[in-house]
Amino acid sequence: MQAALSYLLHTLFPPTVLRPTELGADVLILATGVIIVTVLTRQKKWGWLWREWLTTVDHKKIGVMYLIAAIAMLFRGGVDALMMRTNLALPSVHFINAEEYNEVFTTHGTIMIFFMAMPLIFALFNAIIPLMIGARDVAFPRLNAVSFWLFAFGALLFNISFVVGGSPNAGWTAYPPLTELAFNPGPGEDYYFMSLFISGIGTTITGINFLVTILRMRAPGMTLWRMPLFAWTALCTSALILFAFPPLTVALGTSLLDRLFGASFYTLGHGGMPMMYVNLFWLFGHPEVYIVVLPAFGIFSEVVATYARKPLFGYSAMVLSVIAIMVLSYGTWVHHFFTMGAGPGVNVFFGLSTMLIAIPTGVKIFNWIFTMWGGRIRLTVAMLYQLAFIPTFVVGGATGVLLATVPVDYQLHNTYFLVAHFHNTLIGGTVFGLLSGLYYWWPKMFGYKLDERQGQWAFWLFFLGFWITFGPQYLLGLQGMTRRLWTYPFGFGWHELNFISTVGAYIMGAGFLVLVYNVLWSMQHGERDLTGDPWDGRTLEWSLPSPAPEYNFARIPVVTARDAWWAMKAEGRANQVKRVRPEEVAALELPRNTGMPFFLGLGFFIMGFGLVFRWWWIGIAGIVVVLASMLWFGFDYDDKKHVHPDVIRRTEAALGRLEA
Amino acid sequence: MSHPTEPALHPDQEPVRYLHAHFEDDRRFPWGKLWGYVGSLALTFAAFGAVAQHLWPPTALMTLILGLAVAQAGLQLGVFMHLRESRGPSWQIAGLALALFIAVGLVGMSIWVMLFKSGVS
Repeated sequence: MQAALSYLLHTLFPPTVLRPTELGADVLILATGVIIVTVLTRQKKWGWLWREWLTTVDHKKIGVMYLIAAIAMLFRGGVDALMMRTNLALPSVHFINAEEYNEVFTTHGTIMIFFMAMPLIFALFNAIIPLMIGARDVAFPRLNAVSFWLFAFGALLFNISFVVGGSPNAGWTAYPPLTELAFNPGPGEDYYFMSLFISGIGTTITGINFLVTILRMRAPGMTLWRMPLFAWTALCTSALILFAFPPLTVALGTSLLDRLFGASFYTLGHGGMPMMYVNLFWLFGHPEVYIVVLPAFGIFSEVVATYARKPLFGYSAMVLSVIAIMVLSYGTWVHHFFTMGAGPGVNVFFGLSTMLIAIPTGVKIFNWIFTMWGGRIRLTVAMLYQLAFIPTFVVGGATGVLLATVPVDYQLHNTYFLVAHFHNTLIGGTVFGLLSGLYYWWPKMFGYKLDERQGQWAFWLFFLGFWITFGPQYLLGLQGMTRRLWTYPFGFGWHELNFISTVGAYIMGAGFLVLVYNVLWSMQHGERDLTGDPWDGRTLEWSLPSPAPEYNFARIPVVTARDAWWAMKAEGRANQVKRVRPEEVAALELPRNTGMPFFLGLGFFIMGFGLVFRWWWIGIAGIVVVLASMLWFGFDYDDKKHVHPDVIRRTEAALGRLEA
Repeated sequence: MSHPTEPALHPDQEPVRYLHAHFEDDRRFPWGKLWGYVGSLALTFAAFGAVAQHLWPPTALMTLILGLAVAQAGLQLGVFMHLRESRGPSWQIAGLALALFIAVGLVGMSIWVMLFKSGVS
């Protein structure tokens, strides 16, 4: 008994998770947990939580859950970033030690890409895409919930590594041989591979789901060539996910085999090939950066057209350039490891293909500018992010072309120049885009606007903080400061620029706090959106009430033009579309809520946890839960509920949309 | 040609059309799928056995298991992946062509990329 207890304590809480920062996190997590449980019990909300949220298959609610998870992960990743910047503020600061620093930059990268950017994108896909294309739900509502719960439990598994067992510490790319069991014992890297493996399954399913939804469930009359740009980018993103995630899954799965069962895919000995992991990882990794940036391009295309009150300039060029980016993004992955030394032929090919991809991106930049040209621009927060995005992303793209030049890359590889470059594209592109989309679609998701004035404060803090953080990092990179460096001595002359960079990071942190305050304040006092169309929008989602009822459309609209809702308003048909006559309402079939996706995710979580610690029986128990959930899923034929027309009539009447 | 157990269609859905009228009745035993499953298993074990037994020299072995993999991919696509059914335009053929193009491209280019001689591996 004593021995078992001491084994458990030693395995779950080794010295690496008993450092002050980790203990602080333990206390915070425990306190948050206690508060949540107390509030739920006091308010008797457990049943409500289960019925309304945890078992939901409604794409709008799943979108909200993705959003909450993503904001929480943004906080966690941001705290990681601030810990790093604090350690680098001045020479020889030892705020955290080298081992902790390794863990923090690993979790920062992994969380920001997989558990912040991806779910935030899926939040907007789920909340908006079905409304935008005139559908009542996604193609596979239950699989949609499965996707969410696999992501959520994957994220949970990744995050508990910080306080149970030890964090991964080999960078977000987890290259072998650094991740080989012999060189990196302990559960950290197992956590990494296992959690990404689980959430990756969910992501792949989401890709399939939206691919089918967009191809098959558009409203009558909405041809592909009339589809809003955001739907186009969602389609191309889904296709990218479908083809890009399998290489990652293979890389993660084989790495797990190496670590758990002694295989030698990527080991140094026994004929393993570590560089093959690098190749597979970036086969996924390069399309991945377009997976996270294409939706932002789509958002900007919607935002700029709405706030400039003009149709998008060069729609067909925009669509073709999205498709071109989608195809070209598969042919550039080697630029992440030019220094492997594959030879001049390979490097020149991939350098040129990388430069090539700047062309369709440039086309898009010009089209956004021409859309604004001569338009009557309203400077809302969403539009401010758009305006900030263009110069920021252009700088990120230009430094990307610099890095694509192979000899230059040999100099700049793994310096802060690279760090500044990819933050320039990921924050300037993806994060600005997603924030712009959040401000734009927030009234549609929640029924109230976010306060503009507070939003502007958050924007300026975030935008200026961004440049103050990453501007100096270009110079640091040129001065030879390498990435993943945990501290540096005084004599290198890096301290001024590093200090400025750290100040910028804290300004961005302040921006995040203002953003959260903005959301909380607006929840109470924000302007309610009673029209459903607060921005005078152009696409179908604005023809619905905010937030949309469970069934979205009482009657599916017929689309006759691009910018469908704008055309309806221009032709004076808005009221015909918005209002429905009682006899037009038909009975509907909607997907029925189910707890299966939750238990499937839980099963994967238990399996992952067991495998991470090599407690095979727990792993097998998890697999049993997974199989049982899938059997339940397979034989549950009662997966639809019928909604009586009277229910729909009552709902529409309450929204003031039923003709008398 | 419509299937007897097919649900009534929503007005804006197109009827199901089959490239080949090949769709097992729900009540009959799915022999085709069973054979597909057994065939897949047999191909997998054949590949594993050939490698485990060091049947041939490595190059020949590689060729053999690649051939078996392609055969199994075709089998699975035909038997399980609804390749031969379609509702409306057959999107899946275009999608499959694109997938094939990308997969062959990626595998081919990966081989090209990894054929370097820097003594790392």
